[in-house]
Amino acid sequence: MIWTGERSHSPADKFQGRRKSRVLYLLFGIFLLALVLLASLAIGARTIALTEVLQALSAPDMANPAHIVVLELRLVRTLTGLVVGSALAISGALIQTVTQNGLADPGILGINSGASFAAVIGIWAFGLGGSTAIGWAALVGAGMATLAVLAISNLGGARGNPTHLILGGAAVVAILGALTSAILLNAQEDLNTFRFWVVGSLSAGGSSQSTHILALTPFFAAGIVCAVFAARGLNGLILGETVAQSLGITPARVRLVALIGVASLAGAATAAAGPIGFLGLVAPHLARAAVGVHVGWVMLMGAVIGPVVLLSADILGRIALGQGEIQVGIMMAALGGFVFVAVIRRMRVLNT
Amino acid sequence: MRLLIRAFALVLFFSPALTVAQEFPVTITHKFGATIITEKPVRVVSLSYQGHDNFLALGVKPIALRYWYGSHERAVWPWAEEKLGDASPVVLRGEINIEQIAALNPDVIEAMWSGITKHEFKLLSRIAPVVPSLAGYNDYQMPWQEIAETTGTIVGKRLEAKSLIDAIYKRTKEIRATHPDWQNKTAAIAHHWGDSPGAFTSDDIRAQLLSSLGFKTPEIIDRSAGENGFFMSASAEDLSPLEADVLIWFGEGSSLKSIRGLPLRKAMKAHKEGREIFADTVLASALSHGSLLSLPFALEELIPLIELAIDGDPKTQVPSSVEAKIAP
Repeated sequence: MIWTGERSHSPADKFQGRRKSRVLYLLFGIFLLALVLLASLAIGARTIALTEVLQALSAPDMANPAHIVVLELRLVRTLTGLVVGSALAISGALIQTVTQNGLADPGILGINSGASFAAVIGIWAFGLGGSTAIGWAALVGAGMATLAVLAISNLGGARGNPTHLILGGAAVVAILGALTSAILLNAQEDLNTFRFWVVGSLSAGGSSQSTHILALTPFFAAGIVCAVFAARGLNGLILGETVAQSLGITPARVRLVALIGVASLAGAATAAAGPIGFLGLVAPHLARAAVGVHVGWVMLMGAVIGPVVLLSADILGRIALGQGEIQVGIMMAALGGFVFVAVIRRMRVLNT
Repeated sequence: MRLLIRAFALVLFFSPALTVAQEFPVTITHKFGATIITEKPVRVVSLSYQGHDNFLALGVKPIALRYWYGSHERAVWPWAEEKLGDASPVVLRGEINIEQIAALNPDVIEAMWSGITKHEFKLLSRIAPVVPSLAGYNDYQMPWQEIAETTGTIVGKRLEAKSLIDAIYKRTKEIRATHPDWQNKTAAIAHHWGDSPGAFTSDDIRAQLLSSLGFKTPEIIDRSAGENGFFMSASAEDLSPLEADVLIWFGEGSSLKSIRGLPLRKAMKAHKEGREIFADTVLASALSHGSLLSLPFALEELIPLIELAIDGDPKTQVPSSVEAKIAP
């Protein structure tokens, strides 16, 4: 069963028209993103008019509570959403292309399980409390889990075989999940800290969130560099391994670079906001629905549409209860479910 | 005649003992029915998270007690250390383990503040008489006075328990009398759980202690209470519900960092006027325990802090807030 994206691409592909509509879609996406970014600065427990938001950005007055809210709470939260949303979407696009499986998301590399396991160990054994400290532990855990998945998937001989990768990932996820549950059952007291971390939040870092994001920048940057380098090779791989090789592409190398990109992007995103599910799965599909299967375009469009979806979920979570908030991870999973139903309706799965 | 006088004197001499001595069996009716304790229990297992405090206050050392939180070796907090002496009861951690309790061979199992279910009550009742929370109270909502008094009943020391409760009442009355300026002022007990700030409602045991000193919980806190009734969640974007004449921050572990990081806190009137009190882990825990041992401890710790905070003068700094780096 080979998954080929939402649209069967006819050989001619009406190339010129395609490119034009891609640009249009991208511009539309950027327009949406701008709207969502502004909404994220304006909407919350305290209603702040757009004019005041703009004023806070242009002429901040730190004696005005509304300006404090915009600049010290919502700005960081919004930027976190932007970075995390883009990173998860790009890493989702990469992993789906590498595994040639539309149901793959960064989680199959053990990112979330590794991060959660490391977070639990950090809280339980080392008494970590702040979400930034937990974030660093999570980053290490995500990296180690990815290494483990890669090592296991290479055991069977065929290096970088997508099926082996998925199965290796499933094994690591299962083992880490069991260990995490075992510790949690015996460490009741630490459960609360973990419970809040594991649902994912764009503002958990509080006042240290901005420095936390800044400190994670190298990982996001490295991930994007990997994604850019892998993009051409991945496009070749979509055509099949033999064709790719005839084009001078080394499949194993391309996959490895892409997977390093996935791990550092998704790992850093998890370190920044906790394990947010579903976005890495959904965003690439939304992007493909707009711009087709070209990996570079999917990643670019994903980088725009990912934060739109994530921040929309976050904004809804802020107002859904009337009082108090629903964490973005929960909103994302709930909304993502519906989005995915729509995506599945459009998805073409060809049996060959 | 002389004999008669002697006899009478003898009766007089022993009569206090006669009135204090409580008869067994006692019957305690509660949310799951009634429990009969046939004779004065010796081997007491305390499943309430703070139950051991009350037993220790009455001079009874439980053979097993429940771990709540903190990192104290015997799971007992500083105010109860002395009463525990060199005893080392079994510390029950995590979920209730029926087999472990059965192996302890208890005479009675106290569980008023343990959250046990009816099913657990039935299982435990096959081991020994069990006392869950009294009828009319949800889990963890039984008032401290009733917990203390019932604890007394369980071990045949109800009057002693009552006199300890009265001593606490007497102390709060004294404090009220010496602090007329506190009466009808507002006091909020705020916390930072998970990723949002919040406060305890007037239904909460901690707020009730403050109300016994004359303070009121701000109405908006009660109005915005969640389903559970004992606390409300605020938003970091709007801390106005927490404004009060005295604002006590419960800060434990990493939540102090979150409290410090609330950008709007600095804009609060309570902050600018130096009305904030930082309740460190031990003081917060003493208030939360709400036991015959922890409450007197909490009161003496709290009073000087409230005196410094309530004057609305930032120059009279509250030491605990200065230490926690949240003072203005």
